[in-house]
Amino acid sequence: MDNLRKKWYLSPSRINIRSGKVIGLVVLAIILLLVPVVVRSPYHMHLLIMVGINAVLAMAFIFLLRTGLITLAIAAFWGIGAYASALLAVRLGLPFWLALPASALITAIIAFCVGYLFVRNPGFGFIILTIAFGMAIVLVFGTFDFFGGYVGIINIPRPEPITIPFLAPIEFSRVSKTAYYYLMLFLVLIVVLAFYAFYASSAGRAWRAIGLSPRLAESLGVNLFKYRLTAFIISSTAAGLMGSFYAHYMESLVPNAFNVLKTIYAHVYAILGGIGFAISGPVVGALIMTISPELLREFKEFEPIFTGLLLILLVLFLPNGLLGLISSRRPVRPSESIARVGKWIRASLPVSSSGREDKK
Amino acid sequence: MKTILEVKKLSKYFGGLAAVNEVDLNVGDSEILGLIGPNGAGKTTLFNVISGFFPPTSGQVIFDDRDITGLKAHEIAHLGISRTFQASTLFMNLSVLDNVFTGYHLSYKTSMWRRLLRRPSALKEEEMLRQRAMEILGVMGLAPLKDELAANLPHGHQRILGVCLVLATNPKLILLDEPVTGMNLSETQTMIDLIRQIRDRGITIVIVEHDMKAVMNLCDRISVLNYGKKIAEGLPQEIRGNKEVIEAYLGKEATK
Amino acid sequence: MELPFVQLVVNGLAMGVVYVLLASGFNLIISTPKILFIAYGEFYMLGAYILWSLVNELEFPFLVALCLAILATAILGGIVYRLIFQRIAGHFMAIIVAAIGLMMLMSQAIMLGFGTESKSMASVFTGMINIGGIRISIERAVLIMLTLAVLVGLHLFLQKTKFGRAMRAVSFNADVAALQGVNSNMTNLATMVLGCALAGFAGGIMTPVFAIHPTMGAITFVVLLVVMLGGIGSMVGAIVAGLVLGVTLSFGQYSIGGGVAQILFFLVVGIIIFFRPGGILGQPAEEMVP
Repeated sequence: MDNLRKKWYLSPSRINIRSGKVIGLVVLAIILLLVPVVVRSPYHMHLLIMVGINAVLAMAFIFLLRTGLITLAIAAFWGIGAYASALLAVRLGLPFWLALPASALITAIIAFCVGYLFVRNPGFGFIILTIAFGMAIVLVFGTFDFFGGYVGIINIPRPEPITIPFLAPIEFSRVSKTAYYYLMLFLVLIVVLAFYAFYASSAGRAWRAIGLSPRLAESLGVNLFKYRLTAFIISSTAAGLMGSFYAHYMESLVPNAFNVLKTIYAHVYAILGGIGFAISGPVVGALIMTISPELLREFKEFEPIFTGLLLILLVLFLPNGLLGLISSRRPVRPSESIARVGKWIRASLPVSSSGREDKK
Repeated sequence: MKTILEVKKLSKYFGGLAAVNEVDLNVGDSEILGLIGPNGAGKTTLFNVISGFFPPTSGQVIFDDRDITGLKAHEIAHLGISRTFQASTLFMNLSVLDNVFTGYHLSYKTSMWRRLLRRPSALKEEEMLRQRAMEILGVMGLAPLKDELAANLPHGHQRILGVCLVLATNPKLILLDEPVTGMNLSETQTMIDLIRQIRDRGITIVIVEHDMKAVMNLCDRISVLNYGKKIAEGLPQEIRGNKEVIEAYLGKEATK
Repeated sequence: MELPFVQLVVNGLAMGVVYVLLASGFNLIISTPKILFIAYGEFYMLGAYILWSLVNELEFPFLVALCLAILATAILGGIVYRLIFQRIAGHFMAIIVAAIGLMMLMSQAIMLGFGTESKSMASVFTGMINIGGIRISIERAVLIMLTLAVLVGLHLFLQKTKFGRAMRAVSFNADVAALQGVNSNMTNLATMVLGCALAGFAGGIMTPVFAIHPTMGAITFVVLLVVMLGGIGSMVGAIVAGLVLGVTLSFGQYSIGGGVAQILFFLVVGIIIFFRPGGILGQPAEEMVP
């Protein structure tokens, strides 16, 4: 019974070197690092790189979801990071290694400004505002020539080679993609560490409290707006960071890659893996969703139909996602935590003043 | 006795309807004030306004000589007013201990960043706060249940846990919204004793409650609301025989 | 320049009534069965494509085709509610996810079924009328009139009939409605059917006037904004906001380009929502429970 109650994210971990968790992580790290040795085809490497990016987008979604906000603007910030980095490199000639942090900063600033307006309307209004923002961003990128219009930006320079003393410089080539893969791993690692710090720390407690019961958290002195805004900025910046990577990896950008539909796919990755699993869920979901369309390539036209059907079936029969199925440890029961968000959002719908408190 | 909370001509309108209509209230330091009235009289709305969940349409709330009208809920919590909610509002999927622990959010001295990086100073403070959480649980009698999921607790214990959460914020004034509703006799008595203990620690308490016996037993003074207006106020025995109060609850027919 | 001005306004009204219809149906579905029906635009598109196919390929008369289109979307809406949404009622996120899934499924299925080109169709009502020196196309006028009739009918239905009152009761408080003998499952089903019928109707009547294209379903997101602007659940708000959008787009297309006009609209909605999260006719922020 105990493992059902001990919540993994609640114990301030005094890491026991010999605990199974650490060993598992080390093994995972070794596997990940050795992937390029095993996987030779650039196409497969590309898939893995996209898995990494998609996983981060899904993680960013869940991070914000834990504070009770459902966002449809993840892809928009992914795009902002991508375009910012691309423009800095193409128009201002900034090297990638400067454009990367610079575009992350730009994304954070925009996220602050936008978030400041949006987070003030939690609940239903927030969702719609992020939808509007997501649509507007694509329109902006496509309409104005400054952003390259619907044709997009091309000839985005690759990351400059990293020179290591006494060794040959590490080149970023589209042919082998190995260097890109490791860079992706590195960025994903940064993001995962940042998210994990929040989830597992006592500061993260306040975040979780907000998602579990905003009214209660507020009555205990938690400044909902401040915490939500911070979460919004962090989540968006993570997406923007991967956007910058994406821009210099693909070497060209089109606005439509960053539309609301892409954010919806990020939701799918998260839900497929299981919303209760903030970091492993997105990885599983992104893995399956990125790889399988490629396996079913002849049926490409049916892909949205399958995905749509998948979503419906998931929701009806597997609300805890795949990981919820196979994992004996149950964190916050995800469908419940989501239902909680939903109940609270519903309470904020002006027309329906349902005086009921708890449903199930 | 010093007045710790003063509510002046407070009104809260929803659309055209006055949920709270020019209510005046004076709560003395360390007293237990009861707030009663039929359903829909505006008691919970009054709590919501005082604790900052709704801004008032007009009027003032003065706490500890400081005008707190219109402040947000979390700011008011910082200033020392805490409240419970009508339905059991707890962090259902957390353990009892974690629930109370979350209540200590206000008490953290180490900065957020230190806590994020889990520096030793932050961890030490966390440990200390965890001790304090255990203390509260001990006083309130929930210590043996510390690892139990809040959702699994019986109703009475959940209400007590709600009070523990409130205590964790180190309040000067507590608003208890129907603390013994739905409890049996022995649970009610436990809660009454606990509330007295809390008052003995110097915390002022305002209670909204329907259980008349508990209210008469516990409160130093009682205010009565009906349709958003205050219709009576005084000592329990005065209220007990007050014709208007009885009318409000039972309708005009009963007093004839 | 008054002539184009009136032309533009009428054009805008004609575009606007489509949004009004959709926003009204969307409001119904959000108020009573409490579904954020992201797939709503697909029903609109379905109605349009069914109508087009029936008229252009099977040579049905317009009115018959319209009725069939409405029937199809209504029945499909009912089926979808029964199979999916009734089972996840109350779980907000599940509903959103299911609606998104449905949207993806339907949008692709319709595209595969009907082809990927934009289609247009001969006008049912040709010709222009002359009112005081201003020329207005008859079909647009009919569009506006027809919508007006439907809206009036809807209003009467909601206010006067048993079913309509049941829908309103459930939208306020399903439990209390149940206590008064209202079967909320049936009511929700009926609301869904009605809402989807409205979508099909909107799709059907706009087809001769405006062209149809396979990404029509995306109109849902714009409808969301209209609903927000007018206030969720507010019928009057839907009318006002829908017409505002239509007119804005009409003028926008004429002067600064459709894309920029849309951005402008988003900005305007954003600003208004900022100050009044309940929409222009909704409640101010403080009334909402946190």
